Amino acid sequence: MSGSSKEHIIKSYDDELTRLTGEIVRMGELAVSQLEAAIDVIDRRDERAAQHVVNNDDAIDLLEQEISHDVVRLLALRAPIAGDLRNVFAALRIAADIERIGDYAANVAKRSIPLSMVAPVSPTSGLGYLAELAAQEVRDVLIAYRDRDAERAYQVWKDDAELDEAYTGYFRQLLTYMMEDPRNITPCTHLLFMAKNIERIGDHATNIAESIWYQVNGEPLTAQRAKRDFTSNPELTKLGNKD
Amino acid sequence: MAGNSSLYLRRRFTNALALTLSTMATVLGLIFLAWILWETLRQGLGALTPKLFTKITAYGEDGGLANAMVGSLIINLIGILIATPIGVMAGAWLAEYANRTRLGESIRFLNDILLSAPSIVLGLFVYTIIVLPTTALTSGNTTFSGLAGGVALALIALPVIVRTTDEMLRLVPSTLREASLSLGIPQWKLTTQILVRSARSGIITGVLLALARISGETAPLLFTAFGNNYMTANPMDKMSSLPQVIYQYANDPGEAMHAIAWAGAFVLTMFVLLLSLASRLVLSRNKVSHD
Amino acid sequence: MTESAAAGIHPQSAATPAPIAPTKIQVRDLHFYYNGFHALKGISMDIPEKKVTAIIGPSGCGKSTLLRIFNRIYAIYPKLEAKGEIVLDGENILDASYSMNRLRSKVGMVFQKPVPFPMTIFENVAYGIRHHEKLSRADMDIRVEQALRSAALWDEVKDKLKQSALGLSGGQQQRLCIARGIALKPEVLLLDEPTSALDPIATGRIEQLVEELKNEYTIVIVTHNMQQAARCSDLTAFMYLGELIEFDRTEQIFTKPSKKQTEDYITGRFG
Repeated sequence: MSGSSKEHIIKSYDDELTRLTGEIVRMGELAVSQLEAAIDVIDRRDERAAQHVVNNDDAIDLLEQEISHDVVRLLALRAPIAGDLRNVFAALRIAADIERIGDYAANVAKRSIPLSMVAPVSPTSGLGYLAELAAQEVRDVLIAYRDRDAERAYQVWKDDAELDEAYTGYFRQLLTYMMEDPRNITPCTHLLFMAKNIERIGDHATNIAESIWYQVNGEPLTAQRAKRDFTSNPELTKLGNKD
Repeated sequence: MAGNSSLYLRRRFTNALALTLSTMATVLGLIFLAWILWETLRQGLGALTPKLFTKITAYGEDGGLANAMVGSLIINLIGILIATPIGVMAGAWLAEYANRTRLGESIRFLNDILLSAPSIVLGLFVYTIIVLPTTALTSGNTTFSGLAGGVALALIALPVIVRTTDEMLRLVPSTLREASLSLGIPQWKLTTQILVRSARSGIITGVLLALARISGETAPLLFTAFGNNYMTANPMDKMSSLPQVIYQYANDPGEAMHAIAWAGAFVLTMFVLLLSLASRLVLSRNKVSHD
Repeated sequence: MTESAAAGIHPQSAATPAPIAPTKIQVRDLHFYYNGFHALKGISMDIPEKKVTAIIGPSGCGKSTLLRIFNRIYAIYPKLEAKGEIVLDGENILDASYSMNRLRSKVGMVFQKPVPFPMTIFENVAYGIRHHEKLSRADMDIRVEQALRSAALWDEVKDKLKQSALGLSGGQQQRLCIARGIALKPEVLLLDEPTSALDPIATGRIEQLVEELKNEYTIVIVTHNMQQAARCSDLTAFMYLGELIEFDRTEQIFTKPSKKQTEDYITGRFG
């Protein structure tokens, strides 16, 4: 049980908490649409649209500031405790995660600009799959947040392994391309960074899932996280050595 | 809006009306007080000379009230000295030990009856229990005495003191009791050293008011102290007192006697007024230091 | 019951958070009746030594009543009755044979409103000591100074010990009452909403004092101020309608209480 289904004796306190949740959900929706737009501009190789996505990130930053302000206000004026405290604390952390997600989406859009200046390479299409996985994670975790659904958050947290795995595969694929033809190195490096950014979005989604878990259950999500991101494994750079 | 302003007007009118009526009532009361003072002063002015305080009543028209004043002081003092310790202890017992018990409530009720008992009855009572038995002992010489007068006055002062002590102690916050008892201080120490001390000003006020009350009493002294035209400080002797002499002179046909009676009444009224003022002063000074 | 508690085998109940210190006061199945009204309904709890235990709950929940049983001050009023056990250092203080004098010198109490005696500052502290011990003039001076120092009041009153205690400010009066209590060198200090009549600065001083005093005394504080319980207690007990709903480490109560009633109360959702 997170907090209580009952309303506060002071009604405006409830209004403020509801408003905070609303702001977070809105911010998350903005971040998801930023991510979707970023993938879209890669496909369309549209520089101006990409620039537009980059500029849009300011809106997310503004929302984050607003949330920080509301959180500080709530802490100072309402002195929340127990479930309310966890609620406000989680909101602050989640806002920071969403802000990072927005930054990564903007980064992806930014790199699409130099990418669109060179000849298209075939692995570009694989990025869309990664991005869709990440976007789905963020959408799910936002629903979990809205519904205070710790189980759903935990599901997202577990599912992130899928994104990590996809990223590892994509990483390997890009390496192969670069080895095949040095002219691929420039676009593939951009793609590599973009893929890394998307993978990081997934990590932030899991952070959000952890915050939701804490908010609802009052304890950290301690279960050992399944590590499936093997890209840091030196063995992988030795091609043809996989078994 | 219109409804509101008419309501407002009506309230202002009611307020003004109530204020006027209560002011008039106050003024009426004060008028009588001033009138009494003025009338006693006017009528007694002629007799208000140093002679009044130096000569005794034996000289009649040429005399003063010195013996009556001294007698009054002594009788009142005896009354207060008897009534205060008993009254304070009884009040403390009522408030601290018998509070909220059936016995305590009954005694409080009886005390209230004593409070409103006619003073002449108390005078007769003392006459029966002190004057008559001692008269029998002295083979027929009626033994009216200042002491008997003092006892009669004590009986009048006692319920006043009991009542105020009881009230004042019950006004002391119960947390003071709890604080003392939680330090392990026993009830008797708590009552005598802490509670009575913190209710001190209230109790003193009660004693002063009781003194004011008895200093005007005439009836109980008629059968007890009787009266004496000569100066005496011996409480076993017959003794005169201001109210009794006033009563006596007022019944005298002589105009000069009337003037002396008026002057005595003025002195007595001033004495009572000053006592009341003193008790107010004690109470108000203490209020400041307590909060 | 006592054996299992000592061995650390606690039954699963609100009475037993994980032990953080040896138990000083052991309450077992305590019932209390006001003129037949059942005010406390089977309270059991272990109050640890040299820690601050806060008792919170809405008005009428029985928290002050519970506190007032710890030194049996309730016994001064007729028609009140306590049943059960309160074991202080191995002895049941509810036993009729337990000396009231001894109990009151072991368990001090400070009340909601500061109630200095109508005496000088010095006498306020010395008065209680004098009842329990015969001290020489010089020893008494030392004892009074120690008590006033422990109550963080010495510096403010050392030049006016002969003045009436009624002239002190509310916060100073309350610290004087604490000094008066600790002058008897009690082992347990009961504080019944000690700051409800004080401003925030004076309240802060009292809370700081509580923090210092817990090195030497077992402190039980009843408070309406949730933040105060959070700030200065190690354990918090939540009571409601004469029952102990939850008793746990303060940190736990204020971040993640395990009972819904507790959460509703501390987050302001009651009624």
